[in-house]
Amino acid sequence: MMLRVKQFLAMAGLTALEAIRQPICLLLTAGCVVSIAAVPLTIMHLFGEDGKQVRDSAFAIHFVFGLFMAGHAAGTLLSGEIKKGTASAVLSKPVSRELFFLSKFAGIAAVILVFSVGATIATLLSERVAEKFYYTQALNGYVMDSQTGMMLFFSPFLACICAGIINYRFKRPFTSSAFWMIIIFLLIVLFVSGFFERNGQWRPYSLRLDSRIFAVSILVSLALVVLSAVAITISTRFDIMPTMILCSVIFMFGLMTDYILGRHVAESYVCGFFYTVLPNWQNFWVADALSGGGHVPWIYVLHAGLYAVVYTVGVLCLGMLSFRHTEVK
Amino acid sequence: MDMEKQAGAVIEVNNLTKVFKDFWRRPKVRAVDGLNLDIKKGEIFGLLGPNGSGKSTTIKILLGLLHATSGSVTVLGRSPRDVATKARIGYLPEESYLYNYLTPYETLNFYGSLFGLDGRVRRERIDQLLEMTGLKHAAGRSVGEFSKGMARRVGLAQALINDPELVILDEPTSGLDPVGCRQVKDLMITLAKRGKTIILSSHLLADVEDVCDRIAILYNGSIRAQGGVNQLLEKQESVRLTMPSLPPEVMRKVLELIRKEVGKEPQVDHPSMNLEQFFLEVVEKANRMASQQSGAAPTEMMADYLKK
Repeated sequence: MMLRVKQFLAMAGLTALEAIRQPICLLLTAGCVVSIAAVPLTIMHLFGEDGKQVRDSAFAIHFVFGLFMAGHAAGTLLSGEIKKGTASAVLSKPVSRELFFLSKFAGIAAVILVFSVGATIATLLSERVAEKFYYTQALNGYVMDSQTGMMLFFSPFLACICAGIINYRFKRPFTSSAFWMIIIFLLIVLFVSGFFERNGQWRPYSLRLDSRIFAVSILVSLALVVLSAVAITISTRFDIMPTMILCSVIFMFGLMTDYILGRHVAESYVCGFFYTVLPNWQNFWVADALSGGGHVPWIYVLHAGLYAVVYTVGVLCLGMLSFRHTEVK
Repeated sequence: MDMEKQAGAVIEVNNLTKVFKDFWRRPKVRAVDGLNLDIKKGEIFGLLGPNGSGKSTTIKILLGLLHATSGSVTVLGRSPRDVATKARIGYLPEESYLYNYLTPYETLNFYGSLFGLDGRVRRERIDQLLEMTGLKHAAGRSVGEFSKGMARRVGLAQALINDPELVILDEPTSGLDPVGCRQVKDLMITLAKRGKTIILSSHLLADVEDVCDRIAILYNGSIRAQGGVNQLLEKQESVRLTMPSLPPEVMRKVLELIRKEVGKEPQVDHPSMNLEQFFLEVVEKANRMASQQSGAAPTEMMADYLKK
């Protein structure tokens, strides 16, 4: 049993390491943070509610970049390994196919969760940056937190410069160092932003962030984990491009499943079957619940989490069955 | 040793057939066709054949990576798909199949952990293997930056990290320089002396001839010739005598006698060193003078745990 645990950890760790050493992983993470940081600059109208558009756009960016990361990571790290031959090298060791498959999922899910931590911090900061209407004795008008905005926007670039120095000085791989440095820089920006007001004045430390964002971000992250399970199951039989395409199709259908199938569930068994089998991303997309000062109840997050766990386990069982019979050429 | 070789079959293959199918499950290629093999403990067994003859497919079936269409296969007395059996096997694939973003140290550490080797043993073996393969100075570089020969050395090291009973080497000398080739051949001989069984698949006939006890020649998925190397290559109808240089008069007499008794013209030449031996001597001399290099360092060292 201990050997199985050690093997699982070694393979999952290697998968995560391989994933974050791929330049595409760094590009997607940096791209996601920069895009979220740029959202407040593009928002010209408030429609009577501070931060809504920034939040919604940031969650959407988190979701879409995560989709590409999950699809690409699953494609390269499982189907790519089968094609490249590294899977045959590992499976010639005393490793069961089920454990190999599960460890690949665990490694990818771990990277997706770290990516989600970065996206969540960027969303929190971006929402803070978005212009807000103030009416006080000292101030009457719109204020945008430009310091935080600048720090957030440039943190991926600074992370890359630091990673370059680390690579030059200590010969550590650039991409993985930059990936971790982005997360570290985001945490630093999150901490530092607590020392000043939106209008730039220094103040005693206080983190004034919209904590309602956490619940929605957790749900988006759970959706990405489910998507990783779907992607890795597909990649047991398909190459990277078909995996990416099928993931995108499932993503689209999963968003529309309530509209397309949900209405006909009572009348048609076929619709009922596909409604159950297809992942319903609407369960995880609750950004609208924050509108008008609303929030997402934690009990809902728990129920959605349960749905994510059950769905992921089901999909992974299918994947294990498929991979058990896959011939590793 | 011969007694030991007779002791037990490490691999038994009976009437093995492998048919690859297309997307619609229709037969596409018959890669292996009614193959029979019986490989004994302590043997170095060579699998020869042109490209597409079924060598790699056979090896992958022995490792449980591919499923046989029909026939039976046992490896170390068990099914090749048995996970526990694989703990006793070392496999060097045809291409080195390494994780490009890992360093040689990380690669060996990863494979060592798959065998459940504890930290101390793993570190000792990694050090010895890196030393043996001449990669100690490149242990911190990504494998993706390596030349084919250097990647091959990492591949060889990972195949030996578990001190396997059965070593399956698919084209082990491909991409290696002559020093590396000789080292791999010496390694195989040493391992066989320790009672390890080795299956060698290679296109390089000279390598196979140098080290193998028995060979099988495959063509179109079936065995066309099988037996001991000497037995297959020996020309029973002629004899070679090697002796010190003879004075011209004595030589003339000997040749005359042979002509008279045998009735055919004998062939006379000087035995020569082969190119490999000559090359190794030149490199050895150069190595004594060399100070620094970026590739794999020539080394005669063999990992201690592989000698015990």
